[in-house]
Amino acid sequence: MKILTTAKKVVDVELTIHVENGAIVEDGLQYVINAWDENAVEAAVQLKENNGAETTLVSIGGSDNTDMIRKCYAMGIENGIHIDDPALDKADSFVFANVLQKVYEKGEYDLVITGKQAQDTDSGQTGIILAEGLGIPCVSNVIDIEVVDDQHVKVSRLGDAGTEIVEVELPAVVTVSDSINEPRLPAMRGIMMAKKKKIEVMDLAALGTSLDEVGGAALKSEVAEFMASESRQAGQKFEGDAAEITARVVDLLANEAKVL
Amino acid sequence: MAKVLVIADIKQGVLKGSTAELLSKAKAIGAQTAVVAIGSNIELLASDLANAGSDTQYIADDANLELFSAGPFASCVVDAANQFEANLIWFGFSESGKAVAPRVAAQLEAACATEITDVTLDGDQIEVTRPAIANKVMQRVKVNTERLVAVVRAGAFEADEGISGTENVVKLSAPAPDLKTVIKELVSDASGEIDLADADVVISVGRGAKDQAGIDLVKELANDLSAGFGSSRAMVDGGFMAHNKQVGQTGKIVAPTLYMAIGISGAIQHLAGMNGSKTILAVNKDPEAPIFNVADYGIVGDLFEVVPILREEINKIRS
Ligand SMILES: Cc1cc2nc3c(=O)[nH]c(=O)nc-3n(C[C@H](O)[C@H](O)[C@H](O)COP(=O)(O)OP(=O)(O)OC[C@H]3O[C@@H](n4cnc5c(N)ncnc54)[C@H](O)[C@@H]3O)c2cc1C
Ligand SMILES: Nc1ncnc2c1ncn2[C@@H]1O[C@H](COP(=O)(O)O)[C@@H](O)[C@H]1O
Repeated sequence: MKILTTAKKVVDVELTIHVENGAIVEDGLQYVINAWDENAVEAAVQLKENNGAETTLVSIGGSDNTDMIRKCYAMGIENGIHIDDPALDKADSFVFANVLQKVYEKGEYDLVITGKQAQDTDSGQTGIILAEGLGIPCVSNVIDIEVVDDQHVKVSRLGDAGTEIVEVELPAVVTVSDSINEPRLPAMRGIMMAKKKKIEVMDLAALGTSLDEVGGAALKSEVAEFMASESRQAGQKFEGDAAEITARVVDLLANEAKVL
Repeated sequence: MAKVLVIADIKQGVLKGSTAELLSKAKAIGAQTAVVAIGSNIELLASDLANAGSDTQYIADDANLELFSAGPFASCVVDAANQFEANLIWFGFSESGKAVAPRVAAQLEAACATEITDVTLDGDQIEVTRPAIANKVMQRVKVNTERLVAVVRAGAFEADEGISGTENVVKLSAPAPDLKTVIKELVSDASGEIDLADADVVISVGRGAKDQAGIDLVKELANDLSAGFGSSRAMVDGGFMAHNKQVGQTGKIVAPTLYMAIGISGAIQHLAGMNGSKTILAVNKDPEAPIFNVADYGIVGDLFEVVPILREEINKIRS
């Protein structure tokens, strides 16, 4: 089985983020692998270990993605593709999905595993749109993948009414939730080996396409402006005798907030 | 004139509140409204759908639509969107909405935006507002297409009690089943419990409760208040709470009148699911816990000591 997994480098959500004049202040920000993509990588590596699969990772983005791809190598990914083209700076999910489709078509994969959502966009669209473009099945929000045979996987999806257990015909796309696994910390040996491995770097032309063809010249939507989110103010915090402060807070809930 | 198609949110045969919220917003921006309802044995919902504020009801009622499957559901939405010539297609916040919206957008070649909190129309120009980066920033997004498919963030719009619609049912033909993704089994979530999304009060328990005994203690408080009973991811990962009880970025987004976080540190991913609540109460033994930065009322203390007193005091006030 040939598996393609996707990873995006995103701003570290644990850091404080400032907005100025409609834009995010880049100063002091750090970039890390998207958490859900780490789950996707772990899922791919587990399938490789348990069922024998060839694993390829693709990342689209700025030129400093090398360290992230090497981290994925250290986790057990075998091949890495970096689509590096400044023309994609403003790309939306549709454009990324179209670029991923080009990558997919070059490699004839059986299974694509993406994160369910990128932490910078919080969109949750790319994998699903990729599957639509390819005309292949997609199951999103997946928490378990089991290989049935060469043509089928059985996946569990967290849905509104419970856990849906779905048999999917390959090739297919699955998007994974963080509940699927606990990504491994790469071992020292893996980290050393990862340093020597080659990364295939391509721009859109080398991929055999153009900004026009992937929809990047006519974006369906674009972020006009970033704004600070309305942050809540810390309210009243009480310390001391439990009975006393709890009674006080209950009184405030009833008579000040009027929510009891 | 703008035309809004709302995808009805139906759970166990009951129409959920988000449908009226979305239709109210549609009417507030002066749009014509329609709703599409997809499922099995749902024809009786037509009058509820009209009362929720829709003037046309597209209904796809078929035994094959009993269980959720993204492909056929998307086909029904696309069919209704084309018949109605909708330019705004809105899903309420749900896992099925998140799975279907991008498909519909791809098929209609429309833009897609998830978790929107507002929409504005200026002539034909559509703009939406939405949070990003785990709610740390907001984005104003300009839509460059004529049509927008969107998932509306839970609690973003309010239902207007005064609105109503007219019953005008259009039956949709049943879509072909998706033979490539076959649902083998649905492991249902515990039923009979209060749906977190509907609850006026939500009480969530975190790792601070340690184990089942701690969870049971907090659950008694939830029972007293007929509150929805939720959890942080830590207690779901620990196997103590069901997945559908998780509040946060990968779980449920709730915006109740009162949210209580008991033994929860307040990680950014948890806050993203509850910081739209009207009033927040936190109980945590660590005075530096980040949850206190968003809580209106904070009790610094051991939950095993505080929760029984909370119950007692609340029961006193309510009797
Ligand atoms: C991609 C991603 C998605 C995620 N999605 C979610 C999500 O949807 N929802 C979610 O909740 N998390 C999510 N998380 C996990 C999140 O980052 C935190 O790990 C999680 O919320 C922590 O849960 P907790 O607060 O219960 O546990 P902890 O962080 O361990 O906090 C326990 C708290 O209990 C307090 N405590 C301990 N003992 C007591 C006591 N006796 N009395 C009172 N207080 C006590 C401690 O002071 C501490 O503050 C996600 C993480 C990632 C990476
Ligand atoms: N630039 C990118 N490079 C590689 N994968 C991406 C990129 N953008 C999105 N993806 C994948 O698509 C998923 C969903 O992204 P989004 O639709 O932005 O939420 C992510 O978790 C990634 O797996």
